[in-house]
Amino acid sequence: MIGKLLRADFLKIKRKGLWFLSFLGPFGVIALQMVNYGVRKDYLLNQSDDDWGYFLEYVHSFTPLALVLGIAILTSFMASIENETNAWKQLISLPVSKMSVYLSKFMVLGSLLFVSSLLLGVFSLGYGILLNLGDQIPYLELLKYSFYPYLAALPILALQLWIASVSQNQGIPITTGVLGVIFAYSAFILPDWMIWKWPSLMNEWDEPLINVMLGIGVGTLLYIVGMLDFTRRDVK
Amino acid sequence: MEYVVQTTNLSKRFGKESAVIGLDMKIRKGEIYGFLGPNGAGKTTTIRMLLGLMKASSGTIQIFEKDLNKEKINILKRVGSLVENPSYYPHLTAYENLEALRKILGVPKTRIHEVLEIVRLTEVANKKVKGFSLGMKQRLGIAASLLNSPELLILDEPTNGLDPSGIIEIRNLIKQLPAETGMTILISSHLLTEIDQMATTVGIVTKGKMIYQDSIESLRMYAQQKVLLKVSDSEQAWRSLLGNGIKADWEDGIILLSEHSDGKVAKAIHTLVHEGYSIYRVEEEKRSLEDIFLQMTTREKVI
Ligand SMILES: Nc1ncnc2c1ncn2[C@@H]1O[C@H](COP(=O)(O)OP(=O)(O)O)[C@@H](O)[C@H]1O
Ligand SMILES: [Mg+2]
Repeated sequence: MIGKLLRADFLKIKRKGLWFLSFLGPFGVIALQMVNYGVRKDYLLNQSDDDWGYFLEYVHSFTPLALVLGIAILTSFMASIENETNAWKQLISLPVSKMSVYLSKFMVLGSLLFVSSLLLGVFSLGYGILLNLGDQIPYLELLKYSFYPYLAALPILALQLWIASVSQNQGIPITTGVLGVIFAYSAFILPDWMIWKWPSLMNEWDEPLINVMLGIGVGTLLYIVGMLDFTRRDVK
Repeated sequence: MEYVVQTTNLSKRFGKESAVIGLDMKIRKGEIYGFLGPNGAGKTTTIRMLLGLMKASSGTIQIFEKDLNKEKINILKRVGSLVENPSYYPHLTAYENLEALRKILGVPKTRIHEVLEIVRLTEVANKKVKGFSLGMKQRLGIAASLLNSPELLILDEPTNGLDPSGIIEIRNLIKQLPAETGMTILISSHLLTEIDQMATTVGIVTKGKMIYQDSIESLRMYAQQKVLLKVSDSEQAWRSLLGNGIKADWEDGIILLSEHSDGKVAKAIHTLVHEGYSIYRVEEEKRSLEDIFLQMTTREKVI
């Protein structure tokens, strides 16, 4: 059942610009480094012996922001497809369970963000090579910087999808989305328990893997709560 | 008796407000069931419950003699529906809209062409629905509801907001469906004329309660007719009618014939002419279905 729903959902996002946004996010993050390194490459390369690591740190300074912003926009667009003409009622009166409808939406968003993360890795690698950062390409670090923030951001995705699918008023998910972006921007001063801090991979133990684990755990939990709430409610 | 739809004591409350109260709906196979009631009567709420979009506050729903709560997906496989305003994806073409539903229903692609043909949208199949008129969107909605060749089709006010030609078009479309496929249809409307021209059975609901449920013929029976005669010397004339064994009443100088078959009326007129009365007017008084409907739904009691 979920396969059918996924195919339908991927058809529905056609011409909505979601694929383009998934490309634009990582492209924008790298484009900022193109400016940064374009302007002061020599200075930056002198700052550290580990040019790749230093470069990836710089890339990562913008990743959480792009990710949280991306999640807010993608979930809003995704929900708007069904909200616009109240197509939820048509979708849910088909022979499908509400749980699988919700799962399909989550999986489509998850896939788009996965593609974004993958592109972030590819673009980082490509621009790093172009910058001649050295032959010792740190593939593992590259993977971590591309996918750790994504996994750590799963709770935000689950939360935004929940809010966007049950709100009558689409101003609510937009507000929480904007707040999230502001939080992500202020990650430095946020306490460790705030989910919007997690994609920054910062915590008091300096161990990014904690954020990833928390992201997957709390993300799953918020997903289940959101799905149950969606199933319980009368359809708009 | 086998019912395609049977609700028992179905109720729905929104907070303190009751939108549907103790509704017993019975629809037999092959019927076009007109679900009639003024705006806000609870038609859409009932239909939403039938489709599992809303949970009933109390009562049970049986469709195809199965409990909706227990076999929702199996039931919905055999149901097509259009609830309130048509839902569609404006950025997709008509074909793509149906394709998005077809992927979920798992019917062959040829079915898309068939339903587009039925609602006569084949020519605009590859146009984005954004630019469609309301009538076209409504027809697309009907096409969508027919995709899975349903045994039960549920249409909630399918002609609402359409212009007269659009209304006629949809009406003809709906009328031809059961004849071709043996489908059972539940169609709601707040206009009696709509239902009158399509339905075989009517259920009238007002303020959440079903106040009438029977065949359309039985409803028409309530539209009793009377033939009025305006004649010279009316009291005298009335007595002579009675004297000739013709049933009639006399009120305010007007004779009312209670038997109004052609033969009886002709006999009465013949008698009066024969006895030398002048006949000024022969009129038929008809209580329209609309009057009955209005009376039922405003006075809130069964006739
Ligand atoms: N989601 C809802 N929340 C609260 N009240 C509702 C809701 N849906 C319908 N109602 C109320 O229930 C009543 C019946 O509405 P509805 O079923 O739409 O009537 P109809 O379709 O016959 O016009 C109305 O008074 C309406 O305001
Ligand atoms: Mg309604």
